[in-house]
Amino acid sequence: MGVLLPLSALTQRRVRMEHIYDVLVIGGGPGGYTAALYATRAGLDTMVLEKMAPGGQMAQTTQIDNYPGFDEGIDGFLLGEKMQAGAARFGAKTELAEVYSAQLSGDVKRIETSEGVFLGRAVVIATGAGHKRLGIDREEQLTGKGVAYCAACDGMFYRDKTVAVVGGGNSAAADAMILSRICERVILIHRRDNLRATKIYHDALTKSEKIEFRWNSTVNRLLGEGRLSGVELRDVGTGALSELKVDGVFISVGRAPATELFRDQLELDRNGYIIADESTRTSLPGVFAVGDVRTKALRQVITAAADGAVAAHYAEEYLAETR
Amino acid sequence: MAAVNLNTEKFHKIMHTEGAVLVDFWAPWCTYCRKISSAYDKVADQNEGKLIVAKVNIDEEEALAEQEGIEVIPTLVLYHNGKSIGSITAPESKARIDSFLQEALAKQ
Repeated sequence: MGVLLPLSALTQRRVRMEHIYDVLVIGGGPGGYTAALYATRAGLDTMVLEKMAPGGQMAQTTQIDNYPGFDEGIDGFLLGEKMQAGAARFGAKTELAEVYSAQLSGDVKRIETSEGVFLGRAVVIATGAGHKRLGIDREEQLTGKGVAYCAACDGMFYRDKTVAVVGGGNSAAADAMILSRICERVILIHRRDNLRATKIYHDALTKSEKIEFRWNSTVNRLLGEGRLSGVELRDVGTGALSELKVDGVFISVGRAPATELFRDQLELDRNGYIIADESTRTSLPGVFAVGDVRTKALRQVITAAADGAVAAHYAEEYLAETR
Repeated sequence: MAAVNLNTEKFHKIMHTEGAVLVDFWAPWCTYCRKISSAYDKVADQNEGKLIVAKVNIDEEEALAEQEGIEVIPTLVLYHNGKSIGSITAPESKARIDSFLQEALAKQ
């Protein structure tokens, strides 16, 4: 049985079907909007498909100090809005659309979204990366009910309470520091016997009276009915299980690229990143990958922006050759 | 029209009106709340006449947020004739807000 759509939606869909953009950019972070800026300045008809708001991951950072040109740093959300406005000034369009599927081969690529189908001759993938889940039972069900991924966002709900942080990298260390200022007790759970985090964090963490460590441990099970009441830990050496009562657990075990939609069409590395060199070209002609989503040495706002400029250059070259 | 700001008094008043009201519980320090705000205003625009789209700053209306059982922000609660009929926490896309609304309202 079909779904009856209002006439306006049908008309919109049809118009979009007929229109073929030069460049479709998926994702409105620094890589995506820089690609859009360079592409529109090169005279290419460009559409950015963004699911929520410009800026990507940096939109959740209030202070960015390592993007040059801002001597006192800049708010990441504001920088995202500025990047969008900068691209829009030259004609880049934005649709608040969530991409459901992408057909990336052939001369005209087809992107199906919540707002209809978009067609484009070249596609720039700028979908970035998101937090990784632990992948244990009931994790999704308890998210927002004791399981959290963002200390800066949800830490305030655990004022004077006991929380655990899972992970051993820089973001876990930073989360533990933030939470130690709010919570009564913070327990850092890590599967190794030392932190992977940069040296500057080690001193601060060990000096804090509120932070304790559970080394060589992984979270085996989430405890509690309806709401988290604790975690079951597993000692990685002995396999011994123990219970730890906490009001919340912050999961900070790294990031994963948003490449699920493209895995059957593009070559990915073993961690799921799209394989592309400094030219940003992927395994398919006319498809480019920029920013955190591609294989690269350093994932930063500035390297994402640089990728965007490069992708627009090669997209322009590709379009000139195929027209 | 952008989403309307509600204090406790306005919140209770609006709960006495018939129909559906969507409320975003947020706070100024919440970075993800900021990220959904322009998409949320667009939801307000697109549903004008069908649905009241509102927001409550939980820093200013702490007791109200507690009474409504808000534990994480942003949480979007949909009320119908004054009763909560569903909620979503930190939706990842505008499309997710749209589908939540569509599904929850279809059950009414």
